[in-house]
This record gives sequence, structure tokens and C-alpha cells, in this order.
Amino acid sequence: MNFFQAQTKARHNTRLLTLLFAGAVISLVVLTNLLVLVFFVNAPPGTSLENQILHAPPQVWLYTSLGVVGLIAVASGFKFLALQGGGKAVAESLGGILIHQNTRDPQQRQLLNVVEEMAIAAGMPVPPVYLIRENSINAFAAGFSIHDAVIGINQGTIDLLNRHELQGVVAHEFSHILNGDMRINLRIIALLNGILVLGIIGGGLMRGSMFSRSRDRGGLIALGIGLLVIGYGGTFFGQLIKAAVSRQREYLADASAVQFTRSAQGIASALKKIGAHSTGSQITSPQADENSHLFFGAIRSFSSMMATHPPLEARIKALDPNWAPTPASQIQPSLPDNPAPAGASNFSGGQSTGPISQFSGSANLAAAQQMIDTADPSLSESSHDTFEARAMVYAMLLSKNESVQAEQLRLIGQRAENGVPPLVPALFQRLSSQNQRHKLLHLERAMPTLKEMSHQQYRRFYDLTAKLIVADQAVDLFEWVAHRMITQELYAHFVKPQRSRGRIARPGRVSKQVTLILSLLATVGSSNENERRVAYQRGQKIWGGDLPMIKLEYFDHQALNQALEHLRELNPALQERFLDACASVVNADNKLTGDEFSVIKGVAVTLGCPLPPI
Amino acid sequence: MEMIILLIVLALLAFWVARIYNQLVELQNRHENGFSQIEIQLKRRYDLIPNLVETAKAYMSHERETLEAVISARNDAVAGLAAAAGNPGDATAIQELAGAEGILGGAMSRFNVTMEAYPDLKASANMVQLSEELTSTENKVAFARQAFNDQVTQFNTYRSSFPPVLLAATFGFGNDAALLEFEDSQEIQAVPKVSF
Repeated sequence: MNFFQAQTKARHNTRLLTLLFAGAVISLVVLTNLLVLVFFVNAPPGTSLENQILHAPPQVWLYTSLGVVGLIAVASGFKFLALQGGGKAVAESLGGILIHQNTRDPQQRQLLNVVEEMAIAAGMPVPPVYLIRENSINAFAAGFSIHDAVIGINQGTIDLLNRHELQGVVAHEFSHILNGDMRINLRIIALLNGILVLGIIGGGLMRGSMFSRSRDRGGLIALGIGLLVIGYGGTFFGQLIKAAVSRQREYLADASAVQFTRSAQGIASALKKIGAHSTGSQITSPQADENSHLFFGAIRSFSSMMATHPPLEARIKALDPNWAPTPASQIQPSLPDNPAPAGASNFSGGQSTGPISQFSGSANLAAAQQMIDTADPSLSESSHDTFEARAMVYAMLLSKNESVQAEQLRLIGQRAENGVPPLVPALFQRLSSQNQRHKLLHLERAMPTLKEMSHQQYRRFYDLTAKLIVADQAVDLFEWVAHRMITQELYAHFVKPQRSRGRIARPGRVSKQVTLILSLLATVGSSNENERRVAYQRGQKIWGGDLPMIKLEYFDHQALNQALEHLRELNPALQERFLDACASVVNADNKLTGDEFSVIKGVAVTLGCPLPPI
Repeated sequence: MEMIILLIVLALLAFWVARIYNQLVELQNRHENGFSQIEIQLKRRYDLIPNLVETAKAYMSHERETLEAVISARNDAVAGLAAAAGNPGDATAIQELAGAEGILGGAMSRFNVTMEAYPDLKASANMVQLSEELTSTENKVAFARQAFNDQVTQFNTYRSSFPPVLLAATFGFGNDAALLEFEDSQEIQAVPKVSF
């Protein structure tokens, strides 16, 4: 199962669950109506219960139904709004403390490195990381899309796990993000909240009417009890559904994590440590309950039906079939602490476990670590410093043309914060030795750092980058992809997460747009007209279209953006086919040029999906 | 029927209140996170200062007072930072930190003036590098402080807007969070000249 299949399945599950919940709401409405009719409608004495219900005035049905539906809708709506803040809001509501990218704490540094490597291996944006002050071993991921996702880690996790185990845990959380698990449950949380409100009101009504002297007192108490039962009963069954779905997703996330890290040992060993730890994976914060499905381990110990996570033994067994739960084997940190990154020995076993999910076949962890290792370390430091990261982005956008550059430097001098302008020329020097892929890597790594700015600082930064890009009256490919990354990723963080509905299901509706992008990729991939044509044909074959290649005279970023605006609405299956087509154009000559990488990166960023294997 | 309408209104009200509370907590968390960014940079600065003094000692053996003043101001600032980091929402702790920082700034500028009389020291490679790092760290502190103050302002504005102002005190958000202002703030906070 890959990212797109997982997304399709997630959407399917969501629809199914929504139907289930619609059924639940209808039965709630009927039950409440019956309660109201039985206790409040005065029928002539001697009328049978059946007649009383059948001959009730229609307004009673209408008002009661409207009342119940309205209440559920309002309560769900409020919850939905509260969750709109994205991953950041969830992490903050759990009391998460943002770990700054320039932290000097060695444990936190290691964690950030692990997260960064994993993100680059998965071809997705590097998420901000929050620290939860709990001593148990657990972690979570939250957010709507890959652009606003955040990761939260307990203090206990970084204290007790070694690098290898930490990798397993982080990979598990990335799988939740990529499998779309955060979105499925968002609606469930909102609807459950709506149903729960009925129960709360029932409870209030019951207690309130105990002290009332109204004529209807008995009826009110009965209605209260009825609502209480309906509301809490509904919530209970809702929780059961939620838990059942969640357990399935956990197995999938474990399996995906193995695929990611190419090792089942890390994650299995982390699970064993949870089993051996006194507080296990429990979280004390009450806010954690509604997000329980996003955590690595179960946050409460429930009986098996209500459990959001499969039993530890079962999960360990799935990862390590030879494991026997003896007390001695529970604590076995057999792995060396901090194994050397990218060590070849780490990538042997574990491949055959569970469903294989290829997030990006070639761009695996080893490749990501190698990519990071070959980048200029002083630039890595700059990309992790909130202050210098901005200067680095400005420096990336400087033109090689002297008169344009002078104008850009003037703009920076005028509009950037104090202390930034002097840094820019030195960073420009250092960047000139880096190729385009490395520059994009530095930019990617700077994203979580830039997310630490305040709103005002972000606005100023955003304005200035836009001005620097258009300083030469033209937008080139690198400027385009940089702008895409800045707008998509930072917009999701500072303003609101963008979400596509994925409504386009017919390839014919976007054939022009696809042709444009495949043509662009073919054009930047080679200077030979024949090779371009061959590469283009390969892509079109996968997409299944027959339009001829467009001859592109110059890079038209506006046409590209418009095309991508349409393609953003593709459903996951078509998105996958489209990205496969792009990748096959790029891979046609087995050479990856910086321009090709830029286009495909910009496409993936705009569509909100991970980079395809190239 | 009235009962049901009343209940719906009450439920709406309850959710609305909950939303205000959540928003207050969120904004508070955000500026507290902002403070830890300042903390990182200030710590870095306090780590650099002893090295600076150590380097200077070899040349400025007759200026013990100046050097000691820098070190003691630095130690006070370290204590102030620890207190403020424990409770970034507390106005007194923030003000004490700002005061300690002010004294440290004064001691540092006296040190810099004294250093003018020792051209060898000023030109030594070690000193040049340390000064450069200090300047860069100070810029970073200013930037982090600006972000923190933006976030504090956002919290304060929301807290005192209507309707949250009616509930803020009840929820324990009765006081404005304090801005972190240093004495040199005019210089740092001056908005760069923008011409259109």
C-alpha cells in the first residue's frame, strides 16, 4: 500500500464511518422523539401507547427532530472549528512545548535530526516537533495535511529510547501522517462530540428538574434520564467504532514504519520498552483522549473492545514473529546506543514484514542521510537558526546578474530586520558552491525554523521574498519552486491548512494541464529534441493521454500555477498516476537534473503529497 | 418546547465559552514557546561572555573592576533568566530579567569603551571572533524578543477584547503578560525605513 492507495482507503473509510454516524444520529432522533411523545404529549386517558405515538401532532415530531439534529450539528460544528487550527493547535492543546530548531540540548538535537532525516526520506516537509512533559514512552502526529503536520514526543521517549528505537517511533508517526489517519478521525471526533452533548444535557436536565416544582417534573426527569442514556450510549458505541478503526491503522502504521526504516528491530524494541516501563505509554492530560488514535502507544489501558491500540504483545509479534513474552526478554536494549547513521548493516532484515508501503522507493533513509551529510554543514546550521534562516532564503533568491543583485541587496537593506542584511552576501558566497538539489534541501530544512517566526515577522519575510523574486521582472524555475515551498508550507502553518476535496475523477478533465507539465519536465530534462519526445511519450503512456507535446519557448510560471491549481483537485488515484507519469519522464534518461528536481518538487508540494520515487 | 430551545441556547453558550478558554490557552502557550527561543539565544550569549573576559584578562590586567562588573552582571542575568524561564507569564520575573539585562548591557558597553585603549586586544583574532559572535547573538536575541513580544501582544489584545475580557479573569488570565523590553529597545525595535 502506498501513500495514494492509503489516502483512497482513508477517504473510503471516512465515508463509511460518516454513514454509520448518520445512522446513529437518525436513531437518536427517533428515540428522543419517542421520549418526548411518551412523557409530554397529553393524550386522552385510555389511549394506548401505540396510538399516542401514531397520532401525535406533527409539530412535536418536527420540533423535537430539529432540536436534536440542530444540537448535534452545532456541537459538532464547534468541535470541528476548534480542530481547524491544524496540527499545531492539537499539540498546543496537549501542552506541547515547541522544540526549537537551534536547540543545544543533545537529546533534543538528536530527535530533531531523526525527524528531519525521516521527512527527507519520505519526500515530505520537515514537521515541527513538540515536547510533551510526560515521563511515559509515547509520541503522536497531528495535522490535516503534510504541510501543517506536527510531531509530539514525550520526555520519557527521548530519555529512555536510543536512536534506533526513536527512529522506529518517529517512522510510525510519519506513517500516520502519510496514511491520512489524522483526517479520518477528525470527523469522528466532531460527531462524537455532538452526540455526547445530548448526554450532558440529559444529565443537566435530570439534576435540574429534581429541584423543580413544575407539573412536568416527573416527565422532565424521565426525559433527562432518557437523553443521558441516549447520549452516553451513542458516545459509547461511537467510541467502539473509533477504536476498531484505530486498531487497524496502528498495525498499518507499524508495518509502514518498518518499510521506512528497513528495520523491524527499532520499533519492536521501543514497544518492548513500553511494556517494561512502569507507566508504559500512558498520558495524563485529559485532552489526549480525543486524539488517542494519533499516539504511538495506548494512552489509557482499556479493555480490548475500547482499546485504540492493539495489545503490545500482538504488535511486537507482528514485527518480530520469534519473540516470546518472557519477563527476561522484556528489557533488552540489545541494540547499541546511537548506531552510526546510514550504516549498511541497519538495512538488512525486516523487509518481508507486513504490507509493503512504498512511500518513495529510492529516496530511503540511507539516501536522505547521505544527502544531509554531503550538504555544507555551516549552511545546515544557518537553516536551523531562526535569524539566519531568513538571510539564507534571501541569499538563495539573489540573482547572478550584478545590477539585479544590487537592486535586490538594496531591497534587503531597506526591508529586512536589523542585522540580517550583513549576513546575506556571505551566505550567497557559500550557497554558490551548492547545487540546486542541495539548495532545495537547505530550504526544506529551514521550513520548520521559519515556522518559529511570529505572524508579523512572517508577513514581512513573505513580502520581501516576493519582491526579491520579481526584482528582475522574471521568475525562473528555482525562484518558482522556492516560492511554492514558502507559500504552501508556511501558509498552512501561519494562516490555515489548505485542503483539497479530491473531486476530479476523470482523467479527461485535466489532460491539457497534464500535457503542459509533462512537456515542461521533458523540456528541462534534456536539450535534445528527440530525447525530450521519448521522455514525454513515456509519461503520456502512464497517464493514458494522447495529446502531443507542447513546445515551450520560455518558462511560464503563471500557466504552470494555473495548471497545478486544477491538478490539486485530482482524487488520490489520479494524483498517483500523474506523479508516476512525471517521475517516468524524469527517469527516462536516468539523469536527474536540478531543474527536473525543482519542477517535480514544486508539483508535489502544491499537490500536498510526498515526492515520487526518482 | 421552550425547554428545548433553552437547552440549545445553553449548550451554545457553553461551547462558546469553551472556545474562548481554548483560544486563551493556545495564545498563552504560543508566547511561552516564544520565550524559550529567547532563552536559547540569551544562554548562548551568557556562555560567550566568560570567554570574552578570559581573553581580555591577559591584556587588561589593570582593569579588574570593569571585568568583574561584567562577570557579576552576567551572573545576575543568568539567575534572572532562570527565574523568568520558569514562568514566562509572570510580569515581575520578566521585568527583573529586563533589569539584569540592562545592567549587563551597561557593563558590556563600559568594557567596550575600555577596550578602545588596548588596540592589541581589539585586533587579536580571538577577540575579533568573539565580538562577531556576540554581535550576531545579540541580533538573534533581538529577533526572538520581537517574536515573543508580538505573541504577547496578540495574547493581551485577545484577552482584553470583548467578549473574552468578561471571562478571562475567571479562567485565571486576569493579567496582561509582560513584554520583554530591554533598554536598547528603541534601537532594536526601530522599524527599518520603508519607502514605497
